Amino acid sequence: MMARVFVSSVIPATTDQVWDRIRDFNGLANWHPGMRESRIEDGRPADQVGCVRNFKLQSGETIRERLLGLSDFDNSCTYAILESPMPVTSYRATLSLLPVTLGNRCFAQWSAEFECAPNDLGAVTKRLSLDVFQSGFDALKRHFGG
Amino acid sequence: MTRIVQSTVLPAPPEDVWNIIRDFNGHETWHPAVATSQIERGYLSDMVGCVRRFQLQDGAELREQLLALSDADHSFTYCLLETPIPLFNYIAHVRLLPVTDGNGTFWEWQAQFDVPEEQLDRMMTLVGDQIIQAGFQAVHTQLEADGPTNTPPHYAAQMQE
Repeated sequence: MMARVFVSSVIPATTDQVWDRIRDFNGLANWHPGMRESRIEDGRPADQVGCVRNFKLQSGETIRERLLGLSDFDNSCTYAILESPMPVTSYRATLSLLPVTLGNRCFAQWSAEFECAPNDLGAVTKRLSLDVFQSGFDALKRHFGG
Repeated sequence: MTRIVQSTVLPAPPEDVWNIIRDFNGHETWHPAVATSQIERGYLSDMVGCVRRFQLQDGAELREQLLALSDADHSFTYCLLETPIPLFNYIAHVRLLPVTDGNGTFWEWQAQFDVPEEQLDRMMTLVGDQIIQAGFQAVHTQLEADGPTNTPPHYAAQMQE
């Protein structure tokens, strides 16, 4: 079954400020409370499209993800999961920012599409939307004083 | 070519905002700059290709054509056909995106056009302030007057076949 998870928020900082914080494909552990110990495989630069990040969740589980697209023009990043503890396949996600011109804020959206067994869907959706996406946005809001 | 992109966040879900702004002939009811509006040739206002002929509060008459309308994306695109104002090749695009964190709406409105150099500042103000910002403000005010919404939050997960 193909599923989609979409989470969005408003961060009290400019798009440039938020992008500076999240752009580094190897920097997830610097701003997301659920991640740690990230490295880019094969010594490649973190903004080389095609590079693979290898990082650990706080639980110790390993995730490997490939950078499929990075745009400093659209402020967006698209990546695919190669290896993870979640029961998903064909997983592709995009994190992107848009400016809120009224009030110097930033609209952030994080979405994922993936294949998943119907029995696993509820748990996977909850984990992604709350523990990964919303948790990341909450950390950004705290960081920028929201 | 000049391009203006402006955006705001409204405290109601996209469905509520869409109910207000979807009707291509409905701007006379919510936009303060518009006095009266008619769809030409008896077309329906959600027929892509229809033309609205409308009068501003100062009496100026304009014609705009609906180029695209999407209930799936909560978006529409239109262009200016005729106007007494020096705006040329004017195309505008409106889209709504859900803010799941707080059940709100991100509303983006962009316009691109050509304008004689000496009119640029005046036209930037006209489009940016009197059309876009005034529109944002009017819908914001109307949502507040309507009170809290009964529309449920935009669910984070959508199952697809």
